[in-house]
Amino acid sequence: MSVESRESASVVRMSLMFRIQHILLMGTLLVLALTGFALMYHDNWLGSALIRLEGGVLFRGFIHCTAAVLLMAQMVFHAFYMLFTREGKRELKDFLLGKQDFADFSQAIRFNLGTASEYPRFGKYGYKEKFQYWGATVGTLLISVTGVILWAENISMKILPKIFLDITLIIHGYQGLLAFVILLFWHVYNEHLHPSVFPMNRAWLTGKVDAEWLRQEHPLEYEKLKQEEVL
Amino acid sequence: MKRMRTLAVPVVLAALLAGGKVLAAAPGVGDCLECHGDKTIEKSLPGGGTLSLYVDEKAYRGSVHGKGACTTCHSSATSPHGKLAKVTCGKCHPDAEKSYSSSTHGKTRAKGARDVAGCDDCHGKHDIRKAKDPAARSFHLNIAAVCLKCHKDRAIEDKYGLPGQQVMEAYEKSVHGMAATKSGLMGSAVCPDCHGNHAILPGDQPRSATHRQNIPTLCGKCHPGILEAYEKSVHGKGMRGGITESPVCTDCHGEHKITRISDPASSVFARNIPKTCSSCHEKEGISTRYALPKKRFSTYMDSFHGIALEYGMTKAANCASCHGFHEILPAADPASTVNKANLPRTCGKCHPNAGPNFAKGMVHVEVTPQKAMGVFVVRVFYTVFISMLVVLFVCHVGLELLGRRRRKRMEEGKKE
Repeated sequence: MSVESRESASVVRMSLMFRIQHILLMGTLLVLALTGFALMYHDNWLGSALIRLEGGVLFRGFIHCTAAVLLMAQMVFHAFYMLFTREGKRELKDFLLGKQDFADFSQAIRFNLGTASEYPRFGKYGYKEKFQYWGATVGTLLISVTGVILWAENISMKILPKIFLDITLIIHGYQGLLAFVILLFWHVYNEHLHPSVFPMNRAWLTGKVDAEWLRQEHPLEYEKLKQEEVL
Repeated sequence: MKRMRTLAVPVVLAALLAGGKVLAAAPGVGDCLECHGDKTIEKSLPGGGTLSLYVDEKAYRGSVHGKGACTTCHSSATSPHGKLAKVTCGKCHPDAEKSYSSSTHGKTRAKGARDVAGCDDCHGKHDIRKAKDPAARSFHLNIAAVCLKCHKDRAIEDKYGLPGQQVMEAYEKSVHGMAATKSGLMGSAVCPDCHGNHAILPGDQPRSATHRQNIPTLCGKCHPGILEAYEKSVHGKGMRGGITESPVCTDCHGEHKITRISDPASSVFARNIPKTCSSCHEKEGISTRYALPKKRFSTYMDSFHGIALEYGMTKAANCASCHGFHEILPAADPASTVNKANLPRTCGKCHPNAGPNFAKGMVHVEVTPQKAMGVFVVRVFYTVFISMLVVLFVCHVGLELLGRRRRKRMEEGKKE
């Protein structure tokens, strides 16, 4: 990275609206994980310590449900924001999955293995970001639906056989574990440990990234911004 | 003790004063009390101690024998007299004598042991009163203290291998003990109510009132309604059918330490019930012998009910909430609370909406392909999926780091 390019300042990647949503999401997910895994792993020392810390099973449930309501409210807000605002619509377009993403993914693998000559050129969001975004969306939907079924147990019992509720419970728990694993291995790697951002991609706090970083990691977006004379 | 009198002095003196007249007829109570009414009269024992020979006239007159004569019991007594023959209560109380001699106390005493309860240890000597009399040693509310005099004595416990002091103390704190000592209830269970009185025997002997097979009937004396329910239960039928490991009252409730079910220390307190039931139902041998479903405890403890109960929500269903307690029946029995047909009603006690539809599927979910295919498949799927993702993520990271070196080299190559 040359001195000039570093000075060539930065560009907005996450607007304030998205930063707020991201922080809220992070907070609710953390609370949900702490209260949820406490129950899922109630029989090991860490789980039982967490339950006690959370004020017993009853209060743990209360915290979990409160955070869940917040998460679902955010999800609804986010959907409306993405579908009906100018900024949202633009972002959604950037996030749409296409054939190109699969081609990019395979090209990236081939390049890394040394069989392709060029590394794929990503737009604002490459396959890594899209996988994260849509994974989180599907996961949140699934975990919300199962969560509501379990929460409204008195109504669920009327409609559903117990075996269905058992499966719902298993899905809910493992879906949580899946989300946790993705966040730990994928998100933490991409946004913290990846050499281009280590120790952290600061966009979630400042909203900005270096133009040079954008040029290297998301060249199509960089070129687009150049054309639009934002850069 | 100021004066040490020998027995001989007053006896000889009295004989001299009274002359031959006394010697002819049996002495009256008054005659005996002339000497024995003296509080200081005593005899030296070979071991070095002394034995008081004083008889409290008031206590004697108030006793059940108070209108009789000293010579009824001390038939060899003359005035004066030397060592008297042993008192045999059985002369007038042959039934009591007979059952006493068959008891563990009687048998041990017959072998010459002197520190084992005889008639007088429980009933008194000159002050014997009827058991109905609140002043009697054997009165309902006094008898426990009489038994505990020996049975809380460590020397006696050790010598005869009796249950330790904690057991006896537990009785005093138990619901039965408290009913007697705290509330003064005549209906309280005191030692002889369970162990019997004269014919007392250790619980391991089949003829003992407290032998396993006699326990339900014994407790049923005061708890007849519960006995009736128990007799109909799978446990009661098993027990009556000669299956000795089928639980009796004490297996769940304990013996001396029985407390109210609302007491957190009780073995049948809501939170302790799973542990109490599983003390048999988690045993491999028992579930095999009686073809019972296994893993009832672990599957329960892993359920919402189990977790809630474990963390102190006693409102959550425990074993007894669904299976019942005294009237427990196997699920195959149409009268069982956990029979498929009755599940909506049983679950409905807490979950009013749990209808017949809900009752489909297992309650204790043992995650195996045979027992809960759906849950098993979902769990395996997620486990494989998550593991695979982790492996793929790690591979991806490795590949990407490899690719980055290549990219860097290419970038540098371009610049040059």
